[in-house]
Amino acid sequence: MTLGQIIEKYKCNVYSRTPFNTEKEIRYAFCSDLMSDALMIMSTVRESGILEDSVLITGLATNQSIRTAEMLDVQIVCLVRGKIPAQQVIDLADESGITLLGTELTMFNLSGRLYQEGIVGIASKK
Amino acid sequence: MITVDKRYDIIPNDFNFAGRASSDIKRTLKSMHFSREFIKRVSVAAYEAEINIVIHSRGGKAAFKISDDTLYLEFADIGPGIPDIQLAMTPGYSTASDESRLNGFGAGMGFSNILKSVDKMDILSDPNGTVLKLKFDIAEADRDEDR
Repeated sequence: MTLGQIIEKYKCNVYSRTPFNTEKEIRYAFCSDLMSDALMIMSTVRESGILEDSVLITGLATNQSIRTAEMLDVQIVCLVRGKIPAQQVIDLADESGITLLGTELTMFNLSGRLYQEGIVGIASKK
Repeated sequence: MITVDKRYDIIPNDFNFAGRASSDIKRTLKSMHFSREFIKRVSVAAYEAEINIVIHSRGGKAAFKISDDTLYLEFADIGPGIPDIQLAMTPGYSTASDESRLNGFGAGMGFSNILKSVDKMDILSDPNGTVLKLKFDIAEADRDEDR
């Protein structure tokens, strides 16, 4: 599924102003409100390209969601449950080159729909 | 030969600035063309260590140094120290405040994430402060990415 399709289908607001590629293929996702969990699981990914094609789904509309994505090379963060980011969060996303989206869907419903479309979760490597 | 020598202030309880040092460390490594894999390892460890100072301490400093084939990170704060280091290392154990949890931290995974990322970790702590020293060996393969 492309980034453009996700934005259209789930009526996402695009908060960041950095230009992005609507044709970018999204293949993986991870969802959490706990950034340590995101760091723990996503940092175990060794294959190149996976995190770059991932979206971080979170209800945490703070700078730390953006920082976490930045540390992991994740380029897209999608806020759920209609959370509206503060201006400073949007500014940080722009500074870090991260596309910041938001949808009214809940975390479970967005995740379920993306999974149906073939986007798979990132799991910890043992 | 020392190629990088940087220092950062870390402000306690300031979740807007939290991560600024790690972000600069990451950008510096990126500009030096280290491999993504190596950069991610260093960034994740740096970020967790920086967040630890933000959420648990009265403030501190970070130092970032590359000397020949070794990258060093040092995080030093001014207390109140970690009473039981063994317990703090236990995955899932956390003493983080509600405010930290609202900011997505306090899962008790900080040290586990750091340990997984580094080649060597030393920690010293007493009520006057904690010093965390992290060491990363730079292999030939970590240097060759050109992007």
